[in-house]
Amino acid sequence: MPAIKVEKLVKKFGSFTALDGLNLEVRTGEVYGLLGPNGAGKTTAIKALTGLLRISSGRAEILGVQAPSKDVAHKIGYMPQETALYIGLTVHQNLEFFAKLYGMDDPKILEREAELLKFIDLEKWRDALVSTLSGGMKHRVSLACTLVHEPEVLFLDEPTVGVDPELRVSFWDYFSKLKHKGITILITTHYMDEASHCDRVGFMRSGRLIAEGEPAAVLRESGAKSLEDAFLFYARRDRK
Amino acid sequence: MNLKRALAVSRRVFMDLRNDKRTLALITIAPLFAMFVFGLAFSGQISDVPVIVVNQDAGMQTPAGQVYISDAVISNVDTDMLDITEMNDLQAAIGEIEDGNSYAVFYFPANFTEVTNQAYSLSSNATTAIEIHIDMSNVNLADSIMQAFNQAIQDTMDERGIEMPVSVETQAVYGQNAEFMDFFVPGIMAFVVYILTTLLTLITFVGERTSGTLDRLSATPLHESEIVAGYAITFSIVGTLQAALLLSVGMLVFDVSVEGNVLLAFIVVALLAVVCQALGILLSSVTHREAQAVQLIPFIIIPGFLLSGVFWPIEAIPVWLRPLSYLVPPSYAIDACRSVMLRGWGLDMIWMDLLALVIFATVFLFLATMSLRRRP
Repeated sequence: MPAIKVEKLVKKFGSFTALDGLNLEVRTGEVYGLLGPNGAGKTTAIKALTGLLRISSGRAEILGVQAPSKDVAHKIGYMPQETALYIGLTVHQNLEFFAKLYGMDDPKILEREAELLKFIDLEKWRDALVSTLSGGMKHRVSLACTLVHEPEVLFLDEPTVGVDPELRVSFWDYFSKLKHKGITILITTHYMDEASHCDRVGFMRSGRLIAEGEPAAVLRESGAKSLEDAFLFYARRDRK
Repeated sequence: MNLKRALAVSRRVFMDLRNDKRTLALITIAPLFAMFVFGLAFSGQISDVPVIVVNQDAGMQTPAGQVYISDAVISNVDTDMLDITEMNDLQAAIGEIEDGNSYAVFYFPANFTEVTNQAYSLSSNATTAIEIHIDMSNVNLADSIMQAFNQAIQDTMDERGIEMPVSVETQAVYGQNAEFMDFFVPGIMAFVVYILTTLLTLITFVGERTSGTLDRLSATPLHESEIVAGYAITFSIVGTLQAALLLSVGMLVFDVSVEGNVLLAFIVVALLAVVCQALGILLSSVTHREAQAVQLIPFIIIPGFLLSGVFWPIEAIPVWLRPLSYLVPPSYAIDACRSVMLRGWGLDMIWMDLLALVIFATVFLFLATMSLRRRP
């Protein structure tokens, strides 16, 4: 059973069609990268799956449950493009708040917090107000808040936008570790070079998937030397 | 509805308020500031108004000596309120009013004592009059000057044992010895909670929307009703604490008296806070950034200021405008708080106000939840 299954998903904003019959399957435990330029529909797809947007038509399932639904909310983690943290709270208070929304008790929260702060290397900043952290640190705290309840499926919307190159490498290390724990990750990015870290990639254009496969296979099929060139190849073919 | 999740939201809002020193100061200092500024400015204690007395009363010879009733009247004038200067020339005194140096001239004619005495002791038909020349450009001030002078005359008559043919005796049913601050503090308690709770929730919630935290919350198991409930819990407690703070300072500093059960007044304020936080969330749904939220402030403050009865009675508002007062939630809270604190009324008497607030709360909570549930 795929962790995420999307069939003919359509999302319209008035007369504008943001998702135009999107079909997508993400296997359990894989890192799937949704690639494409701005406006391709990547963020819309994630927001539709996590319940932030109303689906116009089509069908989606997460872990076998029709999505979006609160029934599956405790099994998913969503990291928005913005850091989306309570900057007036400390790192600990943010983690504690999001953990409590998932019904975690205090001992479990403390245990999980210790793990996560070590994971994102912010143990010394536990009691710092988020407003005092650098942009990169806020991104790491945002990831920790997404992971606090040990979700089975992660939706990461452009997690590396505005992040310095060093931290981007760290982030992909984190994602790799999460994958090895069996977590399914759907990640959007417009940095094509990053997509080589994914198990599979899907190129999006005009609200549709125009190609997908393992990065090496996509390169091979397109005859391109980089994923950026591969995307351009598939985009030209789609235009025809 | 999961109460644990609602309490988690409530705790988070509390922590946010606690960590933000400026907001904390706004919540605690602003109500006191409003009470002191408005309370003292509107307290109605007029003082040191310059007036002139032109006293040409010749007095009257009695076995005890020469008597001047005019002097008795002047000595009974409230000198804290009226700053009296004596002059001999009436025209020159009127000139002082024309020059803006004085507000009124009281002129006692030469036969004032003689005729006054005859009128009451000999039942004579003779009459006399104190001429008052007054600057009516400030109606409130002129009324106060007249009241002070009439009181001085009344006190003089009482001292001399002269009974007026008709007397008016006022017996206070409620508010015996009540002063302006007794009337004002219950009103400002509700008014401050209305303004601050609505604005704080509005600004906080616009922040939730613009920072992306609301989106993040939407992807969690948290239901919209739990968000609204969490905010309602926090702000009802904050509102009650604000009311308690105002009342404590009002009692200690302004000697405000409380006739009824103060807990009932706190319940009213807490209920108003629930209405206002829901209103704040609702208003945030029509704004996309903080600057737009600021544009809504006049629409929150002005109706509350003008129509709720906090500064002047709803009965003083034109009849055609009065129905709008009943659409402003603090009107009911202010009326209920005053009834409890000044009249000593209980639940059996203020239930209509409470019912109105409960209806407002129910409607606004429902609409606020719906506004959060709305998806593009």
